[in-house]
Amino acid sequence: MSEVIVITSGKGGVGKTTTTANVGTGLAQLNKKVVLIDTDIGLRNLDVVMGLENRIVYNLVDVVEGNCRIKQALIKDKKYPDLALLPSAQTRDKTSVTPEQMKKLTDELREEFDYILLDCPAGIEQGFQNAIAGADRALVVTTPEVSAIRDADRIIGLLEAHEIKQTQLIVNRLRMDMVKRGDMMTVDDVCEILAIKLIGVVPDDEQIVISTNQGEPLVGTDAMAGKAYANICKRLLGEEVPFLDLDKKENVFTKLASLFK
Amino acid sequence: MSQPVIIKSNRYGINLILDKTTPFRELLGHIKEKFLESDKFFKNARMAISFEGRELTPEEEYEIIDTITQNTSIHIACVIDNNEIREQLVKQKMDEYDSMAAGNTGKIYKGTLRSGHVLESETSLIVIGDVNPGAKVVSAGNIVILGALKGTAYAGETGDDTCFVAALDMNPMQIKIGDVIGRSEDKGFLASLRERRKSTAEPQIATVSGSQILIEPITKNTFNNI
Repeated sequence: MSEVIVITSGKGGVGKTTTTANVGTGLAQLNKKVVLIDTDIGLRNLDVVMGLENRIVYNLVDVVEGNCRIKQALIKDKKYPDLALLPSAQTRDKTSVTPEQMKKLTDELREEFDYILLDCPAGIEQGFQNAIAGADRALVVTTPEVSAIRDADRIIGLLEAHEIKQTQLIVNRLRMDMVKRGDMMTVDDVCEILAIKLIGVVPDDEQIVISTNQGEPLVGTDAMAGKAYANICKRLLGEEVPFLDLDKKENVFTKLASLFK
Repeated sequence: MSQPVIIKSNRYGINLILDKTTPFRELLGHIKEKFLESDKFFKNARMAISFEGRELTPEEEYEIIDTITQNTSIHIACVIDNNEIREQLVKQKMDEYDSMAAGNTGKIYKGTLRSGHVLESETSLIVIGDVNPGAKVVSAGNIVILGALKGTAYAGETGDDTCFVAALDMNPMQIKIGDVIGRSEDKGFLASLRERRKSTAEPQIATVSGSQILIEPITKNTFNNI
């Protein structure tokens, strides 16, 4: 049974695209057939994060408008043959595609892939409506900031209204040092406010910036964020994985720092 | 009488005071003129009408109403005979309706209201769930939240300031009862979250006291005064 998962947040810049790239790659590492769809028409960047920008010939709008077959527009990943990307169009806008067309597209892709991940644009307008149209499940990404959380709350309400059965939360860019100082909300705070099931916590990690700039998702590497994403993938498959102790690395670091004081 | 037609508004609509001696055709002309002048004021109003000062046949009444509705955007809901018993009855009915809306009947909504969700009702409302920041509950009557009120609640929206808002965990962004409005303190998000953690939530009720919203714990005696 294949699953269509939308990655959404409401607010921009919280890490939807990074999450899509890493969760998609992580699922491919677990030998699943995965396709990533960038639904952010006009502001495409999932291809950049995946390092596949130079391979784009056709895009999502071309497929929907019948300018090409789906197969022609799918770009195979550099490392994982079972991972594909359907890039967005850069020169069009969100109204070039309708929710009905998106649903038809995802339904067709179900036949070939185990997981169809939709990278949703920020906002709640047509781009959002397109992205959630065919989804069975949603991953809501938020950072521990009140603005992101307020938007996430609104998004969760809209997902409920669209009867998306399963909605789970990823708390991204958590900074343990700030949490400890009491300057940042804890994961528990966020979960209490949003009241949905948590599927992952990703620490703020500069390795993410490095990996994004290289166009190589870091899931599965030794970086804390890489481990966190790998765990999210396992949880998506139904495995029970304990949450990372994000404090550990910080402890070593602070110990070292205190030695030099 | 100096003026052949006088328009007086009352609680339910308008009362037309008509001169006895003016010929009916001429009177109709005056009525048309009067209403055209005040059409902007009455724009799209739905009202009851009553007549005073002159005996009218049903045909004449019909003609007057026709003149008003043809020349203005006023909707005449009904004609009220200008006798006192009738007025009393109307008043009683209207009051009954008001009190029903305000308190005696209600709707139940189950589920948490998230940001952007607005729940409105012409009767009292019971929400089984939380009202999150950015969500809003509006009722002509009372509001009871069996959960946390963290968003906005407007009770007695038609102007009744005897209404109340009650919640198991009272942490509203804003409460309005009748025309009285109160808002939360200007504390940071994190600070108020911490504060809330420290104290255990207790059921509280918000009512109007003077010209302010008063929030106090619910006790046995609370509902004796409401």
